[in-house]
Amino acid sequence: MAPEPPLLSMSGTTKSFPGVRALDGVDLDVLAGEVHCLLGQNGAGKSTLIKVLAGAHQPDTGTIRWRGEDVTLRSPIAAMRLGIATIYQELDLVEHLSVAENVHLGHEPTAAGFVVRGKAAKESTAALLKRLGHAEIDPGRLVGELSAAQQQIVSMARALSHDVRLIVMDEPSAALDPDEVDNLFRIVGDLTAAGVAVVYISHRLEEIRRIGDRVTVLKDGRAVANGLPAKSTPTREVVALMTGRNVEYVFPDRPDSPPAAEPVLKVQGLSRQGEFETLDLDVRPGEIVGLAGLVGSGRSEILETVYGARKPTTGQVLVDGRPLKPGSVRAAVRAGLGLAPEERKAQALLMLESVTRNVSVSSMSRFSRGGWIDRGAELGAARAATRELSLRPDNPSVPVRTLSGGNQQKAVLARWLLRGCKVLLLDEPTRGVDVGARAELYAVIRRLADEGLAVLLVSSEVPEVLGLADRVLVLREGRVVHTAPARELDEHRVLDLVMEGSPAS
Amino acid sequence: MTQPVSPPRDSSTDKVPQAQPPAWRGLLFRADVRTLSLLGVLAALILIGGITKPDEFLDTRNLQLVLTQASVIGVVTVGMTFVIVSGGIDLSVGAIVALASVWATTVATQEYGFAGILFTAVVVGVGCGLVNGVLIAYGAMVPFIATLAMLASARGLALQITDGKTQIVTVPSVLDLGERDAYVLGIPPLVMVFAVVTVIGWLVLNRTTFGRRTVAVGGNPEAARLAGIDVRRQRLYLYLLSGLCCGIAAFLLIVLSGSGQNTNGNLYELDAIAAAIIGGTLLTGGRGTITGSVLGVLIFTTITNIFALNNLQSDVQQIAKGAIIVAAVLVQRRTASTT
Amino acid sequence: MPEITSRRGLLFGAAAVSAGALLTGCTSNEPSDSKDEPAGNNQPAADDKPGKQVTIGFAGPQADHGWLNAINDNAKSRAEKYSDVTLEITEGSNDTAQQIGQIETLINKKVDVLVVLPADGKALTQVGLKAMRAGIPVVNLDRIFNTPQAYRCWIGGDNYGMGLNAGHYIGEKLKGKANARVIELAGLDNLELTKQRTQGFDDALKNYPNIRKVARQAAEFTVESGQAKMAQLLQAQSRFDALWNHDDDQGVGALRAIEQAGRDDFLMVGGAGALSAFQAIKQDDGVLKATVLYPPTMAASAIDLARALGQGKGIGGMAEFEIPASITLYSAVVDKTNVDQYMPTGFK
Repeated sequence: MAPEPPLLSMSGTTKSFPGVRALDGVDLDVLAGEVHCLLGQNGAGKSTLIKVLAGAHQPDTGTIRWRGEDVTLRSPIAAMRLGIATIYQELDLVEHLSVAENVHLGHEPTAAGFVVRGKAAKESTAALLKRLGHAEIDPGRLVGELSAAQQQIVSMARALSHDVRLIVMDEPSAALDPDEVDNLFRIVGDLTAAGVAVVYISHRLEEIRRIGDRVTVLKDGRAVANGLPAKSTPTREVVALMTGRNVEYVFPDRPDSPPAAEPVLKVQGLSRQGEFETLDLDVRPGEIVGLAGLVGSGRSEILETVYGARKPTTGQVLVDGRPLKPGSVRAAVRAGLGLAPEERKAQALLMLESVTRNVSVSSMSRFSRGGWIDRGAELGAARAATRELSLRPDNPSVPVRTLSGGNQQKAVLARWLLRGCKVLLLDEPTRGVDVGARAELYAVIRRLADEGLAVLLVSSEVPEVLGLADRVLVLREGRVVHTAPARELDEHRVLDLVMEGSPAS
Repeated sequence: MTQPVSPPRDSSTDKVPQAQPPAWRGLLFRADVRTLSLLGVLAALILIGGITKPDEFLDTRNLQLVLTQASVIGVVTVGMTFVIVSGGIDLSVGAIVALASVWATTVATQEYGFAGILFTAVVVGVGCGLVNGVLIAYGAMVPFIATLAMLASARGLALQITDGKTQIVTVPSVLDLGERDAYVLGIPPLVMVFAVVTVIGWLVLNRTTFGRRTVAVGGNPEAARLAGIDVRRQRLYLYLLSGLCCGIAAFLLIVLSGSGQNTNGNLYELDAIAAAIIGGTLLTGGRGTITGSVLGVLIFTTITNIFALNNLQSDVQQIAKGAIIVAAVLVQRRTASTT
Repeated sequence: MPEITSRRGLLFGAAAVSAGALLTGCTSNEPSDSKDEPAGNNQPAADDKPGKQVTIGFAGPQADHGWLNAINDNAKSRAEKYSDVTLEITEGSNDTAQQIGQIETLINKKVDVLVVLPADGKALTQVGLKAMRAGIPVVNLDRIFNTPQAYRCWIGGDNYGMGLNAGHYIGEKLKGKANARVIELAGLDNLELTKQRTQGFDDALKNYPNIRKVARQAAEFTVESGQAKMAQLLQAQSRFDALWNHDDDQGVGALRAIEQAGRDDFLMVGGAGALSAFQAIKQDDGVLKATVLYPPTMAASAIDLARALGQGKGIGGMAEFEIPASITLYSAVVDKTNVDQYMPTGFK
């Protein structure tokens, strides 16, 4: 008897988005009844891969075999019909419908083909919830009234309401308390015992050790390791695989000695309930300070709070020794702060407008008199600022949406350059920027610092923080767990710190 | 001190997509296409009018008539364009015109003569705009709801003031402004006001920081906020501006009709929105032109004129108006998708 | 950016306060010298001698038009004339559901008689039936219910007759004029009554072969629309001899457009019977020579009928013991010869 083929077998899966190759020839085999863990840093391609599995993205190339047969996952419904269910990190439940209605959404038990049999739906939902160990959830309640953990159970019940053979779970433990995590693992155990395969995504290595069977590691859109034994592969090796660079970043030199000037930005005891706690840091002119941490460690929240876009619970921000009005972007901008946010298109750019207007938007008073804009002066100033950053094309009249990611980021930097800001807050400055263009952006950031700007940098890419920053603060769950000059840290050390949270030695 | 940056290995990654022909020319060309297509529609309408009613349509008096009839709704549309460009909507414009026009024509107000009527119309308009603006900007109300509430209240107050009666204007200087004798070089004063409001509106939207902020707030409010723009204050000013335009329009309507009535400004909100939309203003905000909106108004007024001259009835007029809105939006979507 | 908010704010605040002070004084509509006489006439009522106490419930639409406002005024002032009548009047509403609720409240209050001017006759038929079944006689004013079972007596104007009389008046004035041209400025085309008026007008004109109706445009019973549509009509028709305008309210706008165009080469006949129209007819210095009545005094008559019903009387001057089931009012033509008589009934 021939060995049973894998339940799912993907090979050579490639998926590109404009400017980014998210998946580059990924192979993945999932066996029936196993827990297959997917590991990788942010941007390694995990989300794209699970969206391909869920039928939400169509791969450019590659084959998918399901129980030995070639299939095409044309749509989420097609994937669901085969028996592939996905539980996303951002739960896709309808808050204003009841638990039972959510569980049966799209395949309601009906009489005569269209009359929804509400009672039958509730009964089957109650049975599913009981099987998941949450009999206390009332199928008639609105989903919006449930806790995050309960909502996740509902999401799982929905997956099980189909005849499911493979469940993809995207960081299911992120929102759960320890005993809820135990229940989750019990459910995963029950499922695999019944022959269902689970693709499990998590940042927490200890979880993978506990429930995982095999591990596939993604890095820059490629599967750098397939089917490693989850329990016996050393942590060091897994981390090395996740970070092992096949792209050489070119980082500019840093000054030999840290700048001696007084800090221009001081953050004292800054906290935001549930996001980060009692943060102290200062940044001197000419210095780049990096914050390293995973998603959920509070990085972006810190920058936005410093910038006044969020109101702190406690603490204060001082620029040149003067405290800023908390929660006021305008006060921050007036004091000389500038933010290049993570979501460039949603938070920084006016996509319908020209580069000029995007660059000039924060300094309009400089070339206007009584509200009247001197467009010649505006264009001249925008051109000077974009030239200084060698933004291409060298024509600030083009719409900003036609620019590449790197040049869009330069447009945002040019905005603050033109404004003459003292402190630049950079949130994931190279997200969506082609690898080739990154080096140039790093050089620009370093040059701005050399010219006297203070830079506070946040990045989920550890090499970026280590390569660019002078000093690094390592964050874990909203707390600084370690501070050191960048040259004294290496990537493994930082990853250990952010993932395991082991105290600084 | 900076180590030489090695050139990016793949220099093509940084090339601008569609660098040929230069994108700025494409932008200019597209803007022109939009205006040109509206001018084309207007030209076609003029052709139709000229063929069907050569004597009545192609006539100085008719030109004066069309422009005069366009003035009141035109001024309202200029204000509405600003609001829509900022990503908002003002459903209360018709009701504000009604309230301002009746408040300005009460027996008591008319005792203050020309200045009293003009002042009252403008202040009532601005006052209603202020309420809208405060509710939306600082009360965090959705513009649709806030201005819908204003629509209901302003209409109710207008009815309360008039008691359903028509308030006839007896101030001669106001009435004279709407007469043929007041035309300067053949241009009716109402049309002059419309022209001035249009030009100022164009300048403000295109040449001032106020206009820039409006576009920024409409295009991406979060980005505008993070760029240091006071988004709330800008919103307040925008509804004030719309109210001001309504006040001016109410005065024009008083001059034109020689009266104030609580039914004035009936469905102006829809006419103004429709004109702005066919003029190329995005309902989602971030883009719009005064030129387009004014052309939209002129297109609608010309259609009404041609239909009336040809003695077609109101049912046909309404059907045509609906068809033109749909056609204009479809054409725009086509031009947008071929970007 | 330099901030001058506070100073600007102060200036603005001061302006707002002073403007507010001036404006609140400006909502007054009382002329400083003359007293506002309620519309109505002094025709003797059916039977002036006081009789049994009668409570009359009155429900009408929102008075957002001069004519409707006059209806309310007529009903109120008529009721005040009788010491034996108590009038329960509801807040006018154009919302069918709300009006139904108001009438049901009146039924529950057990008023003796109901006078109803429905916002929509068809939609309010059921509540008329309900009142009748509850033993409350209903006087249906103007906009007629679907079935005669829903009212004891209907009284209203004659839209067809309005058009007919306007047509005949114009026909007689233009008699002997060859190739006479007539235009029509109609009311809101959505309403059946507008169609009826136009039908009557067209039927009347058939009697005069020398007359041709050359244009018709519909306005919306508002001054604004009257001005706009009339301006277009004047541009479209460089020569015509007579104009019939369905409604004196929109006629204010129409007259404004005529004045602005500087035209006086035709005669104009109005409709409804507004005070401003009567005054213009009396002055006789413009194109408006006559208006065809759609008399708001019908509301006063409805109160009379309701009182008679409540007291079990008939109408004076008729042989029957009972009041009639249906009364259609005559749409009289008011011109210079008889305008003085109608002046007190003119509405604003």
